[in-house]
Amino acid sequence: MRSVKAIFSKQLRDMFKNRTVLIQFVVFPLVAFAFTEIVAKPNGSIPDSMFVTMFASIYAGVTVLTTTAGTIAEDRERKSLRFLIMAGMKPYQYMLGVGGVMIAASLLVAVVFGATGGFHGVNFVRFVVVLVLGSVASSLLGATLGIVSKNQQAAAAMAMPLGMILGFTPLLAMFSQTVKKLFCIFYTMQVDMLVSDFSADFTTPATVIIVNIAVFAALFAFAYNKKGLS
Amino acid sequence: MIQMSNITKRFGEQTVLSGVTFKVQEKEIFGMLGPSGAGKTTIINILTNQLSADSGTHSIGVSPRETGLMLDEDGLFVRLSCLENLNIFADIYGISRRKSREALKSVGLELAAKKAVGQLSKAMRQRLALARAILNRPRVLFLDEPTGGLDPATARGIHKLILGLRERGSTIFLTTHNMDEAVRLCDRVVLLHMGVIVEQGAPAEICKRHEAVKTVPDLEEVFIKMTGVELE
Ligand SMILES: Nc1ncnc2c1ncn2[C@@H]1O[C@H](COP(=O)(O)OP(=O)(O)OP(=O)(O)O)[C@@H](O)[C@H]1O
Ligand SMILES: [Mg+2]
Repeated sequence: MRSVKAIFSKQLRDMFKNRTVLIQFVVFPLVAFAFTEIVAKPNGSIPDSMFVTMFASIYAGVTVLTTTAGTIAEDRERKSLRFLIMAGMKPYQYMLGVGGVMIAASLLVAVVFGATGGFHGVNFVRFVVVLVLGSVASSLLGATLGIVSKNQQAAAAMAMPLGMILGFTPLLAMFSQTVKKLFCIFYTMQVDMLVSDFSADFTTPATVIIVNIAVFAALFAFAYNKKGLS
Repeated sequence: MIQMSNITKRFGEQTVLSGVTFKVQEKEIFGMLGPSGAGKTTIINILTNQLSADSGTHSIGVSPRETGLMLDEDGLFVRLSCLENLNIFADIYGISRRKSREALKSVGLELAAKKAVGQLSKAMRQRLALARAILNRPRVLFLDEPTGGLDPATARGIHKLILGLRERGSTIFLTTHNMDEAVRLCDRVVLLHMGVIVEQGAPAEICKRHEAVKTVPDLEEVFIKMTGVELE
């Protein structure tokens, strides 16, 4: 437990000192807030929460994925992980610490998004839960990329386009039925569906997200067994 | 305490270590001497289980938590401060964070405690890496070229620190290609050349065996005589 806490605190401090990462966490909620206030609210024909749901899926797809992948790849490349493990830290403790910060950050971001979108009561809770679940899926996928990539640069080169695809498909799906059908098996599409229409069926999308998490967890376990952490 | 017996290691076609056998006594400063590419780092990596050997046996007699490690790559978190870096490890070891300050002080970095690692000079980083290696008061300490690339004054400071650690009861395994350093610090040394141990013993004893009169720089001459290669 104390190792998990040590990594959690390391990761949290590092995030605040890493401007590129910090910006990624701030920019999507900020843009969503601005668009909601300037565009959505004065315009009667689009829902107030439209930009919030849009940027929330982009956040879950892009920010969490690239940050997790980047962190793990950097700690491997700089050999920091070696020293942590030599000091007695277990790989799963490292993962829990890093993942924990991602979840905590996503919780905070989700609350900000939720408030901006003007969600209340059950809908607010549901929005936060769904976004956090999406972030869990993203961090597992990011962790897998962080493990399989040669270095930090390679991790970014894989995580960025993948994050873009995952994060922006809900947006493209608004204009294309093909995209919608093709990508509905991915968690970001389901996150988007769940948070943009609270009257929609909950179980099917939630199941898809859980299956995504399970698949990514399995991928991660496979990559980890094959390559280890250092 | 530390022992290696008949270790062989290949990387693809290249045999990097062959039949490496030695023992390190408790509370001894043991030096692994050899030119670049001799296989010194590979030996540390095998002893610390970061790399597996192809054949042979080895042990260090203590658990990983009781060892300290300083490698050529320092693995420090560059955006965090010196103190934050050490505190992470203090937390993992489950020891008081006060020890982080003590360790910083012992390497003369107390004034840089709040400085980000990315802003440190190479010598300062190296001292911080040493501070991290001794944070848990390790019973066995591995130092891979602890003074490589440092100015003489800093190197002397590190020598003093290493001698002090031995006084406190640590066993120290270090690598170097500096003969002078080996003679000054080490109770016993091994001369490694292309993965083969060509000579081992106390520096003075080795020189005597090869009829060198003075200890420095004649250990170097012994090395040249045995291998035909200069160290640096
Ligand atoms: N992972 C690796 N893959 C392939 N070859 C390697 C690997 N690690 C080391 N080697 C080779 O093994 C040999 C010994 O390397 P090692 O790093 O142990 O030398 P060294 O004595 O520590 O040298 P230096 O003084 O330069 O640090 C070198 O020829 C090196 O190229
Ligand atoms: Mg080396």
